[in-house]
Amino acid sequence: MRRVAIGLCLVVAMLLGATVPPAWAQGDPIKIGVIQPLSGPVAASGNYIRMGAEIARDWVNARGGVLGRPVQLLIEDNKSDPKEAATAAEKLIVRDKVPVIVGAWGSSMTLAAMPKLEEYGVPMIVETSSAATITKRGNPWVFRISPPSEMEAVGLEKYMKDLGIKQADFLAVNTDWGRGSVTAFGDLLKRSGSTVGTVEFMEQAATDMNAQITKVKAGSADTLFLTTSVEQITLVLKQAQEQRLSRKVITTGGSSSPSQLIKQAGPAAEGSMHILFFLPWFPDAMPDGKLAKAFVDEWTKRGHPFEGLTEGFRGHDGVMTAVEGLKGAGKPDPKAVRDALWNVSLMGVNGPIKFEKDGPAGKESGQSKPSIFIVQIKDGKIALPAFAAKK
Amino acid sequence: MDQLLQHLLNGLLLGSTYSLLGIGLTLVFGLMNVVNFAHGEFYTLGAYGTFAALVGASVNFFLAIPLAIAGGALVGAVCERLLLRPLRGASIDTTMLVMIGLWIALQNGELLAWGGVAKSVPTPFSTAPVVLGPVSVSRLRIFVFVVSVLLIVGAHLLLTRTRLGRAMRATFQDRETAALMGVSIERIHTVTFAFGAAMAAAGGALLGPVFLLYPSMGDLAAQKAFSVVILGGLGNFVGAALGGVLLGVAEELGAGYVSSGYRDAVGFVIIVLMLLVRPSGLFARAERVG
Amino acid sequence: MRRAAAARGAVIVAAAAAAPLVVWNPYQLHTLIMAGIFAVLALSLNLLLGYTGQLSLGHAAFFGIGAYAAALVSVKLEMSPWVGMLAAIVLPGLAGWGIGRLALKLRGAYFVLLTISFAGVVSLVSVNWMDLTNGPLGIPGVPALAIALPGLPELSLRTKGAFYYLVLAAVVAAYVLCRRVIASRIGRALVALRENETLAESVGIDGTFYLVLAAAISAAMAGAAGGLYAHYTRFVSPEVFLFTYTVTMVIMVVAGGKGTLAGPVVGAVIFTVLPEALRALTSWQWQMLLYGLLLIATLFFMPSGIVPALAARAASRR
Repeated sequence: MRRVAIGLCLVVAMLLGATVPPAWAQGDPIKIGVIQPLSGPVAASGNYIRMGAEIARDWVNARGGVLGRPVQLLIEDNKSDPKEAATAAEKLIVRDKVPVIVGAWGSSMTLAAMPKLEEYGVPMIVETSSAATITKRGNPWVFRISPPSEMEAVGLEKYMKDLGIKQADFLAVNTDWGRGSVTAFGDLLKRSGSTVGTVEFMEQAATDMNAQITKVKAGSADTLFLTTSVEQITLVLKQAQEQRLSRKVITTGGSSSPSQLIKQAGPAAEGSMHILFFLPWFPDAMPDGKLAKAFVDEWTKRGHPFEGLTEGFRGHDGVMTAVEGLKGAGKPDPKAVRDALWNVSLMGVNGPIKFEKDGPAGKESGQSKPSIFIVQIKDGKIALPAFAAKK
Repeated sequence: MDQLLQHLLNGLLLGSTYSLLGIGLTLVFGLMNVVNFAHGEFYTLGAYGTFAALVGASVNFFLAIPLAIAGGALVGAVCERLLLRPLRGASIDTTMLVMIGLWIALQNGELLAWGGVAKSVPTPFSTAPVVLGPVSVSRLRIFVFVVSVLLIVGAHLLLTRTRLGRAMRATFQDRETAALMGVSIERIHTVTFAFGAAMAAAGGALLGPVFLLYPSMGDLAAQKAFSVVILGGLGNFVGAALGGVLLGVAEELGAGYVSSGYRDAVGFVIIVLMLLVRPSGLFARAERVG
Repeated sequence: MRRAAAARGAVIVAAAAAAPLVVWNPYQLHTLIMAGIFAVLALSLNLLLGYTGQLSLGHAAFFGIGAYAAALVSVKLEMSPWVGMLAAIVLPGLAGWGIGRLALKLRGAYFVLLTISFAGVVSLVSVNWMDLTNGPLGIPGVPALAIALPGLPELSLRTKGAFYYLVLAAVVAAYVLCRRVIASRIGRALVALRENETLAESVGIDGTFYLVLAAAISAAMAGAAGGLYAHYTRFVSPEVFLFTYTVTMVIMVVAGGKGTLAGPVVGAVIFTVLPEALRALTSWQWQMLLYGLLLIATLFFMPSGIVPALAARAASRR
């Protein structure tokens, strides 16, 4: 029995030993950590962001890398589980000694990883999460380039008169993102003199939303705000068509990938409007048209699905921001990178990235002000709605 | 009133597919005593099988579905042969854990093979809904409902009217006597498991076009299947068939009139109540369960 | 015999206690801490599964209730985290008692399905009851534990090393508790019930009473693990109710060796360290696929679990 115990200890020690970094990994490349959901229900989004990050890495390396060294992305899967996000952050920071991380997609995953950032003093670029609390928690190692729901609603504010919404219903996924969206856009409606109708939620994995649609149909609103992943949007639009729901549909959050909707929902998607942070169909409408076009071209060249562009750019912008931070720091030291991030000013695919202070004084996080766009599906194609088609 | 009718219709259509899922599982769980956590993965395989046949091999839609079901049965038979037969004498926990391992391996294998991006299956039906008075429903869903009912009836006939069905029932009622009567026990086990897998694959092949395909689609389906099994009673075919419809309608009404957030809770609460009040299932004769 | 076993135990505990001095890499320490928390969880599940033969697939519910109790008490009620830990033990224990009373009229598959449904309902409540649990946003900012004895300076358990010792103490306590329960009247009654329930009842053992007691203790232990988790990760969200946690627990107990006391602990350590090793050795595409295959392989070669298989090998060689 003693031999058994010793044997087991050896096995455990060996397995643990595997988690020690191999000697040859230290050395030339500068490592940037990337934490994304690469498996599980939102694997598609996580993978698009990974693809965008890889394009950024290759472009940087083609131009000579950063600080004279090549950039290496260490990509970790957070399995859509906050516990895994925290563990992945720990592994990247401790074992791989990354000076900066890009992640972690979902708000609860980002929130779970944040204590690790503070514990070890490593900055993270938040590329997708939308919960307001992320930058308000007083964590000075968080730098977000995606808009919180409140900012998104403000982005829509200038179009409220043209949209002419009297009453709107809400159908959102039951996560922090969906709920935050409902609150933010609900406030926007009230500010603009409209009213909020029915508010319904759906579980992240739900496929049948007929019950909620039936309830919405029974109301008297003229618009439906929809906040969820592109898969559920497809299902909602199709099921709404089956139930002959005729409302103006506006999707929020930027994850709606209208190209995919046209392909998979077909005529059910006709007329719907989408709030996005990247217009791959109109790269010239982006703040830096050349960069946007180059990104779209490279993405297409690599054979990645076009539908992924509306999310993939986040990976690119996240990595580019990290690279700017490294340049400003002059060395791959986390604290120096953090300090440098306050001074970065770069042009991402979405637009200018520059951080402003957000949160409690003395411990502010960084929040950039991304550009916000709106498109409409007309005649089976993406178009800029009339009121937004000014450049 | 219109709302109620629409909810009922939604529930009926959804429920018929729950029945398909539940029947497959009740046979495997109830008869073979295997807690088949990989049941949802056969559902997923059926869906991806239809997609592969349609998009990859350009097979006709109405042919792709039976092909996918056959594929599901085949994979089920292989799994039973390779994984369950060698562990025939092992405890229920061990086989359950092997099924869990299979679930993890299959789902991640699908993720590797197909990627995480959801796929949609093109169907030959027009998307314009059929309007029946105050309610409307899509043609595809009507097709799915009809085929589900046919499959359920067909399966029932197989179990009750054919020799194979008799052999299956005999094996699980009294193994030794069945063996003495010349039934090949090993073959029956393989056939039963393949049958369960085929039913799940049928569910996936039919529902894949209605919804979307993604590697984790089987998890929710498996959850519903377990609920249906309890509603109908372990091993009770008719119970599962009726239980599925009941669950679908209850969920729709719950989501419509109580709260859409707690929609799935309706299923769970029903189960809890069922188990406390009438554990052998709504449709079984009373049996000792405690 | 007893003394030899106790001596072996002391050696293992001493070795484990020395680990942080050798393993100074915080990531590895983190892995060991998580292994410890899961060991407590696995031991709790084993109490039910291994000794009563009843499989609870809802144990993540008790884990989650414990985590939320600890988080809510220290964040929303702003009381001492130790009160939170107490709540993390007592509340799930009560829930376990209640569920046990309701569920343990059932056996076998019915019990399993009831526990799954219970966990499902609790999970949905945690996501939807925003006022209580903050819903999907979760509860961030759970404070670290600290020992504040009167007259002595406060000893913060925030650092990994300190927390590791706390978790180690918890594992030892859980192990000893299980041991005492098994050896006591309760344990003997449970084994009698597992072996032959009708016979046991005929000699006057009230099956339901003892099973409910086991369920309550098991749930309380799972809750304690939840409380530790809350104070370590300092963020609690509805994902603690994910079915994958239950699955992981079951894997640890059954693959480790149910019905033994060492089995769950060994299973917990191996199946916590294994995914991390896979994370380090393979790229993200292959990690979970390999994990599933390794699990199947483990069960194929060691159907009763790792510890019993190794013990049998050791015994046959003697």
